[in-house]
Amino acid sequence: MRKLSTLAVASLLAVFTLAACGEDEDKEALNKDCPAAPAAMTGSHTLPGNFPAPADIVFTSVKKDGPSTIAEGYLNGDISDAHKAVASAVKGASGYDVTKEEQDVADSEVNFSGAGNSGQVKMNQTCRDRTDVKITIRPA
Amino acid sequence: MSRRTNALALALAGLALLLAACGGHQSAAKRPTLLVVVNAPFTQTPYLGQAIESGVRLAASEQNQSGVPVGKTTYNLRVQTMDSALSPARAVANMRRAVGEHAVAVVDEGTGIDASWRVAAPSRTPIGVVFEGGKEIVDPAARPNVFRIAPTDHGVAFRLAEYLIPKRLKIGVLHDDSDYGTAGAAALREAFAENRSSVAIDETLPANALDLSSQILRARRAHADALIVWGRPATIASAITAARTAGWQVPFYTPPTGSDPFIRQRLANHPAWVDGLTFASGRLTAEIGVKPFQSFEHRLQSAFGPELVGVKTKAGLEVVQPPETAMYAYDFVNVLAAALRKAATTDGAQITKALNEVVVEGANGDSRGFNQHNHDGVVDDDVYFARFHDMTYAPVRDDPLSATLPEVPQTR
Repeated sequence: MRKLSTLAVASLLAVFTLAACGEDEDKEALNKDCPAAPAAMTGSHTLPGNFPAPADIVFTSVKKDGPSTIAEGYLNGDISDAHKAVASAVKGASGYDVTKEEQDVADSEVNFSGAGNSGQVKMNQTCRDRTDVKITIRPA
Repeated sequence: MSRRTNALALALAGLALLLAACGGHQSAAKRPTLLVVVNAPFTQTPYLGQAIESGVRLAASEQNQSGVPVGKTTYNLRVQTMDSALSPARAVANMRRAVGEHAVAVVDEGTGIDASWRVAAPSRTPIGVVFEGGKEIVDPAARPNVFRIAPTDHGVAFRLAEYLIPKRLKIGVLHDDSDYGTAGAAALREAFAENRSSVAIDETLPANALDLSSQILRARRAHADALIVWGRPATIASAITAARTAGWQVPFYTPPTGSDPFIRQRLANHPAWVDGLTFASGRLTAEIGVKPFQSFEHRLQSAFGPELVGVKTKAGLEVVQPPETAMYAYDFVNVLAAALRKAATTDGAQITKALNEVVVEGANGDSRGFNQHNHDGVVDDDVYFARFHDMTYAPVRDDPLSATLPEVPQTR
């Protein structure tokens, strides 16, 4: 059993080291200048259930994938700002709950339910001051 | 959970194991125990039962290295298995026995849960469902002692609809009449409700039937150009056999049971029939990468041996099953242990309450936990698609999530 424990410790330390390396790579990407922002979509971007997206999100597309609505866009600012803005908008909306949220160095997810729907807001920061946002809304 | 927190948790876990390695085994052996019951179909679907048991036993073994402090007493977790045989009546009887023996929790495959949860409700004994994904199973308000770490039928069905409807396929929706198939059919009906024109036929199959040629023929005559088969592994294997025997090369899509080794074992003489089978399931790896999952798989294999499928690739390599269900069972026990520590009591109501408040790092590096609004530990957006080739599977490349996922090695 001691042999097993030592092996487990070695495995865990290896994972720890690799996780730290991945974190460094993400941090490096966050220091890059952002390329030109994609064009904002024209036309309506009303989302099912009056989904409470942050007011300053720039939508670039909204489409249906079968029963679900997929909206894409971006928020100016880093991943922390974006995560806070989305989580706060969902928590502050009547009838909506955040069911699970996670924030990492460069990506985050806010899962939600409300207005007869459920889904996820997935955010990715790939450059210094812009965070891509993808909202998936499906009937609950 | 942030990577920094992940790293801290890993460092602490490593330190705990290191201390355990230096500590005395006698004191560990003398600890009082808390019973964790595994209620699963060991005789009817042995792979599933054993996967759940292995995950629970590994987590218990790791927790017992330093014990689970509950208030002033440190306990070991003791694991006991009970065979549900896929029978709701037996599952309920097992639950009654588990509650009678004061189990601190029941890790359950899910059969019969609509009745068995009531047996555990008065004592608030927590139940962790780790396979069945039916919508009604989990309801934090009505069933506060029921939790789940497994892909939900809702997530699998909607992700299948999102993946297939844009391909403009006419889909034959087939499901068997097991608990699993019936719940899946309900989820698929919701997922395709707005797009009924995509459904060529909706057909119920008898579970475990060896010959499904007449049902498959009906689907073919309905001009289906893809089939979703939602059922137990035996049903999927029979449906594939019926189609291929008739020379119909229709693509098959399934829920997580499509990855069950039984299908490859049944079709071992016709490996080409398995090629192209696509299933939806929970992603095995988190954003952090494949390493945490591989570390878990390595520890599981060290303890119980590799899960050999019993078939080989064309190159003669043995095929090993990645431990998905074992991961969910493992994670539930670790969340349970965290809840026991937080509750500082073995009272079921307090443990159930604490289960809403703790989060642990899961086997794949992702966070696992519940809260008062959500008793599902796998989110719908973590459902991905994988396709078989040469008896092993890999994430598909034509789905945005799946395309980002690494292949998990499956040969040796």
